[in-house]
Amino acid sequence: MAQVYWDDVTEGQEIPALDEEMSSQRLVVWAAGSGDFYQIHFDDNFAKGNNLPDIIVHGALKGMLIGRALDEWVGDAGRIVQWGVSYRGMDPARQNIKVWGKVTRKYEAGGEGRIDLEVGCAQPNGTQTTPGTATVMLPKRA
Amino acid sequence: MVTELTDLTDQMKAAVGSTGPTVTYEVTTLGIRTFARAVGYRNPIYYDEAEAKEKGHPALVSPPGYYGMPVFNPLHQQARGPRASFDTPFKRNLNGGTEVEPLAPVYAGDVLEAVTTLANLTLTKGRMGQMLIQTSETVYTRKSDGKAVAKTRGTGISY
Repeated sequence: MAQVYWDDVTEGQEIPALDEEMSSQRLVVWAAGSGDFYQIHFDDNFAKGNNLPDIIVHGALKGMLIGRALDEWVGDAGRIVQWGVSYRGMDPARQNIKVWGKVTRKYEAGGEGRIDLEVGCAQPNGTQTTPGTATVMLPKRA
Repeated sequence: MVTELTDLTDQMKAAVGSTGPTVTYEVTTLGIRTFARAVGYRNPIYYDEAEAKEKGHPALVSPPGYYGMPVFNPLHQQARGPRASFDTPFKRNLNGGTEVEPLAPVYAGDVLEAVTTLANLTLTKGRMGQMLIQTSETVYTRKSDGKAVAKTRGTGISY
């Protein structure tokens, strides 16, 4: 992907969204990758025994999907300064999650080009489950 | 039904500000690839060492937010963080949120030492009744050069 430059970003702009399938297989890969083996994320019977409608997506996976959307947007020459999200709602597995980000502020800090964003994850019906904020550094055009 | 607390217990108040034991995390090529695969990365620097080196990195690159896995050994008692240093009537836990502040690149082969501090405890009322909100901060330091590579902040909700 072509490098994004700070100069070309405008407030209100959206970054490329991710549309990610949350299959049971993917949650098992995440369990292995994260070390979170809590059964509500991969065992249907266990999830239903905990009054859940289905197995649910790990909160931390949603947080890291947002990290990926930012990482892919800032490219090789940019850098994530920080990001943070709240897990406000559960996402049942076996449906897609849309990961999005929107530029809220463009400024300079210590000579660097900085961008603040609003970020989040949404269910296919539009329900927002994972609101957050982020700050990234983007390179300036020479 | 959990007995409601009128205030944080003395034990809880004493736990705020306390620090847990140092936990060793290993960042391995397998760990990086599994994490990157689950999150859906397509960037080869997270999968292919030769591509990572071509882009100027010394080894496979760890994606943002991945600081490896704690070293597991069933013969040792698992290290318990400061959140486990007080008695609590709340039995169920939810992950309330994550903040990540990457400070330096992390690579396959890095061994990190993580120290977690219990930053805050708050009692609130929510849909599920009384809840204890726990905020903890973890600093990851690379063992080989003593450099802090990341700070994370986690929110846990017990109810």
